Formats: sequence, structure tokens, C-alpha cells
Amino acid sequence: MTTGEELRRYERQMIIEGFGREGQERLKQTRVVVAGAGGLGSVVSIYLTVAGVGKIRLIDHDRVELGNLNRQILYGNRDIGRRKVDSAKEKLESLNPEVKVEIVSEAILEDNAFELVDDCDLIVDAMDNFTTRYILNKVAINRDIPFFHGAVRGFEGRATTIIPGQTACLKCLYTRAPQPEPAPVVGVAPAVIGSIQATEVVKYIVGIGDLLTNRLLIYDGLSLEFMEMKLKRRPDCEECQHLTEGRE
Amino acid sequence: MSVKVRLHPCLRNFSDGRQEVEAVGQTIGECIDDLESKFPGIRQQLCDDGCKLLTKYDIHINGRSSYPEELAKLVKAGDELTILTFVAEG
Ligand SMILES: [Zn+2]
Repeated sequence: MTTGEELRRYERQMIIEGFGREGQERLKQTRVVVAGAGGLGSVVSIYLTVAGVGKIRLIDHDRVELGNLNRQILYGNRDIGRRKVDSAKEKLESLNPEVKVEIVSEAILEDNAFELVDDCDLIVDAMDNFTTRYILNKVAINRDIPFFHGAVRGFEGRATTIIPGQTACLKCLYTRAPQPEPAPVVGVAPAVIGSIQATEVVKYIVGIGDLLTNRLLIYDGLSLEFMEMKLKRRPDCEECQHLTEGRE
Repeated sequence: MSVKVRLHPCLRNFSDGRQEVEAVGQTIGECIDDLESKFPGIRQQLCDDGCKLLTKYDIHINGRSSYPEELAKLVKAGDELTILTFVAEG
């Protein structure tokens, strides 16, 4: 049950039409994996924490570097050299001690991915490469877990919400996985896209609004423009073709 | 075959600022040739000297990536092509 302190902490969101105590209670009961604690993962985990999601499992095997600090707002100068997840846990718990923050300092690989998402209700893609995104996509499809995709570059970003069996998955949309290389990113790009991913997660859990399903949101900060592209499931998708629901 | 082509903002200096243009062709490559005839310079923006799509771009046919061998992919009348940059960072 939501306590008196929680009622005060969350009152401004619970008065949103359709949210209420029930929505807050649903947030509290939800366990979310945030895969990646970089630019996107910083923003997503901060907003899910302050919104009162019950448990966040943050996965990242990197340490904080000076070059991260233009965009990874979970960290500051004093965190340089520390494991990202350790600094992140401290920061998130200071923002909201009600939220359980579980940390995993491991790389996400084919071998461990299923285990890493065990007991979780939702997965947020805050990765920086498509090889790992495809692993997470596979796990989400096979475990029937909603998957919230985001990616950024420069002033740009993309986001879509994937509901296995109902919507296009990441492999329906993309087929390539270029080698990761340091790409340009300005902090405000993951700020926009991470906030959109967190918005989708909160809406999905509370059960209000329309989701970014079968739609790729295309954000360009330089022209300050949002475009959308309608997505369709690929009947020959190597990942999701075996799921029959919602296919054309 | 006439298809609708939606252009990423970074390409709109070729299209007088228009987000949507028409192109004619049997393949994506032919559609780009047609765009080049209307908007000189756009092919060089999209493709390298060997007429391959630059890796920074992704061309979707009706919401699905056309990678790999993008320029050889067939299109049919009424298809919607969307030319985007490829975005992968986090
Ligand atoms: Zn698929």
C-alpha cells in the first residue's frame, strides 16, 4: 500500500486524470530493467526513480570517465574512475529512497541476457550499440516482455515501444549492427529521448494514453522537428515471426 | 513507378525545404537518380563514388530498413521511402 509519505511525494502525479493511487500502486509493483547507464540510462533511471517505480535493475559494466560527463547526468567529477552502477545507485537512492535499485556490473551477452532480465516486467533499451540491442530484443520477444527502444546521435534521436507479438520488433525495423564507434552526442539528445522512453514506461504501467507502438519517433534537435514513421511487423522477421498475434 | 519519399531534415536544403517529394523508379537506386535530376547534388550527399549508400544513412521502404544492398531493392507504386540517418548511440 502507498504510505502517507508516498502520498505526499507523488501527489502531483496522482492528481493526473487516470493516474490516481491505483496508478501509483502499479508503478510501485513494477520491476524495470534499465540496460545501460550512459546518456539514455541516466535520464530513464532518474525519471523512473522519481516517479516511484518499485524496482530498477540497472545494468552496465563501464566505469565513469571524464568524457562521459557531457551527457551522462547520473555522474559528476568525483565519480570518475568508479563503477557506473555504484555511483548511479547512490544518486538514485538519494533521489528516492523508496525505490529499490539493483545493480549489475556485467556486459550483456547472449549467454547471460535471459538471466539478467529474470523476474522483470519491462526492459528499457539504453544501450550504445545494436549488437546488444538485438540480444535484448530477442530476450524481450522470447520472454514476452515489453521493450522500450531509444537511440541517439549528435542532436538526434529515435524511440519506439515494442510489445512482443503485437508490434514490429527491433529486427522488423533494422537489420544491421555496425561496429560501435565513438559517435557525436550532445547531452540534450539523450535528455529528450530518455524522457520519452520514461514517459512510455510510466504510461504503459499506469495504463493511460497512447503508446509509441508501431511508430518510430524521429527527433532532430537541429531543425527542432519530430517526424514519425509507421512500422509494420516483418512476416519473415527472424526474431518475432513465430508470434502470430497482431500479424498482418 | 511513383513513390513518395520522405526526407530527413539534413537533406531538405536540396528539396527547397520540402519534407515529402515524389520519385520515379523500379529500385531505390533509380529513385535516387530521379531525385538527382530534380534536386542536383542529393545523390552525392547520399552515396559514395562507387554508388553505394553511405553507412550514415538508412532508407526504409514502408517502415522497414532496406539494408543491405539498399540501392538494388525493388519498389512499387505507392511505396513510401523514408531516408534517415542511422542512429545507434546511447
Ligand atoms: Zn520482428
